[in-house]
Amino acid sequence: MSRLRLAAAATAALGFALALALAVIERPAAVLNLPALVEAEIAGAGALHPITAVLLDFRSFDTLLEVGVLLLAVIVAYALREAQPDGPDRMGLDTPLLRAVISLLLPLMLLVGAYVLWAGATRPGGAFQAGAILAASGLALRLAGLRVGGLDRAWRVHALLALGLAVFVAAAVLPALAGHAMLDHPATLAKTIVIVVEIALTVSIALGLLALFRLAPPQVDGPVFEDRRSKPRGGA
Amino acid sequence: MTVQPATANLLAWLVMLPLAAAVLTMLLPLRLRAAASLVLLAPMTLLALMLGAALATHGPFVLALGGWATPLGIALQADGPAVGMTLLTVAISVPCAIHAAAYLRGHAEAEYFWALFWFLWASLNTIWMSTDIFNLYVGIELLGLAAVGLVALRGDAEALAAAMRYLLAALLGSLAYLIGVALLYGGHGSLSLAHLAQTDHAQATTAVALAAMSLGLALKTALFPLHAWLPPAHGGALTPVSALLSALVIKASFFIMLRLWFALAPPGLSTAATLLGLLGAFAVFWGGWKALRQSRLKHLVAYSTVAQIGYLFLFFPLAIGTGEAAARLAWDGTMLMLISHALAKAAMFLAAGNLILAIGSPRIADLAGIGRYRQFSLLSFGIAGVGIMGLPPSGGFGAKWLLMQSALAGGGWLWVAVLIGGGLLSAAYVFKVFRHAFIEGPKRDRFEDPPAALEITALVLALVSLMIGLAAHGPLTWLRLGTPFGVSE
Repeated sequence: MSRLRLAAAATAALGFALALALAVIERPAAVLNLPALVEAEIAGAGALHPITAVLLDFRSFDTLLEVGVLLLAVIVAYALREAQPDGPDRMGLDTPLLRAVISLLLPLMLLVGAYVLWAGATRPGGAFQAGAILAASGLALRLAGLRVGGLDRAWRVHALLALGLAVFVAAAVLPALAGHAMLDHPATLAKTIVIVVEIALTVSIALGLLALFRLAPPQVDGPVFEDRRSKPRGGA
Repeated sequence: MTVQPATANLLAWLVMLPLAAAVLTMLLPLRLRAAASLVLLAPMTLLALMLGAALATHGPFVLALGGWATPLGIALQADGPAVGMTLLTVAISVPCAIHAAAYLRGHAEAEYFWALFWFLWASLNTIWMSTDIFNLYVGIELLGLAAVGLVALRGDAEALAAAMRYLLAALLGSLAYLIGVALLYGGHGSLSLAHLAQTDHAQATTAVALAAMSLGLALKTALFPLHAWLPPAHGGALTPVSALLSALVIKASFFIMLRLWFALAPPGLSTAATLLGLLGAFAVFWGGWKALRQSRLKHLVAYSTVAQIGYLFLFFPLAIGTGEAAARLAWDGTMLMLISHALAKAAMFLAAGNLILAIGSPRIADLAGIGRYRQFSLLSFGIAGVGIMGLPPSGGFGAKWLLMQSALAGGGWLWVAVLIGGGLLSAAYVFKVFRHAFIEGPKRDRFEDPPAALEITALVLALVSLMIGLAAHGPLTWLRLGTPFGVSE
């Protein structure tokens, strides 16, 4: 029976792969050239780099919803995690060496994060990359058993997690209140708004990635450390 | 049709307001979340009604988000189907929210219900209105994640297993859809449905893309034989969640499929359309048979959804390659089926949940004796059952009548047999519930009394599903606006 299933799955996969290959080989020459269109219109957008311009101006509605997807994932993780009993915290290698390395690395990581965010206007970079770097530095702190004091309260973490989406939605509806199309920022303000939205997104993306890591269920194998999670709920 | 920016923005407000509500309900203290959500139902309803009025005055219109016209930017559109589904979403979500506010008082574990509820609403509205295939992908991602989260809210082992299964099915469906998006963009250089519709469709790339996307969406809609994830997810969730999932969430992927087939269907698709119709026919009989065999009430209702999805897929063989009159009847019938199933199934899940609260057990056999004591809950279940069975004057009857007319006009006798046979099976499983409910016996004479809000919301939804059959002419004319089926009578 299992061999039959394997054969059926293999046949289906092969057929699918062949169909995909056919579709790619027989691909028609595209009539439209969107990258050229982006280049032609980029002067009116809020950023000079084409990727940032597409993400935060031409197709900013997609990005807004994607930020919603990340927040939603964190909310679902919270909902699932709190429905289950807390295991012991297996994180926090409290060694002097790790602390020393992190105290050297952390300022650099923050600097690189800020640079990548700023660079997004003219070259590859932006909120998602900067957020990932910040999340990594938060992770390093956590691995060393250090806490960011301000994030011990659950509501503060929740507020910072939601900040990106909240600022993005506010930036989306402001033009509508002024009588323009939703998300249609006047050319003079477009750059400022893109920067404000990017900064808020960076904070929320960093914290969202960190929260997803923290909310992962405890591993069954692996060393046990002192339980740090029994303190305030929801702190990152 | 060009309209004032303020009017066009109504479309985007219907996405931004629920997103803002999701953020708000996440941050508010626990005790205020339900109250804030109930207050926000009013502006949502108002916005949807204003959108309906705008469509009636101006005809179909689009909103170019960010002021960037397609294909560079993303456009939302207000045509008949989009506005109709937006209004249907209000009609289902408002009673479900009122029901949930009362139902969740005893469920502390569901503290994030409201944030997920508002995300779900935002994603549904995006899907109804969007004209961009990648934007639709983001919409189904948001929808799928919110729906999986809602299923998992109960937090017990059974709910988590169902949610995991649902998540895997939803992800697989999304990936298949995304492959299609990549192929279409690679082949035609555009993501806008309006632009893609103007390309030459008689190409392998378009056909493979449409096939991959249809496969993914059929999995998300739980078309037989890809339905196995649905009964545990819909049957095992909290009651208001079951109602939202069965009434709206599976309709969203079906709706995207309709949009894609209108824009992209290559010539000579009758074979593929017949295949979809046959799968639909199998769904009607297999779902109905499995519903009849269930011992738990909500799982019976969930399998009934598997069966009713089958009717929606009869649209493809009835509308493709059969002539204009048959196609229009099929469109009208499918839209009415979608609407009346949404209303009746939401009512049926809410009523089933009330019956379960009353007997304190999920099993159908434990209903014995309830017919004498809790007629109110049973009444709502029965009225919803009239719509599911397709008896007059319900919307389900009107829908099946139109589909049958279409089948007769196009000479599809097989589909007539499916419509009649499916109706008989649904009668069998609805009456199974009543057979147990009316058993007289010494078993018990005390039942719990569900709060009035739970009973009233179920009854109102059931009555609307009954009445929609009498007043279907107006909505159906509207739903044709901006579709290939035109506006003329």
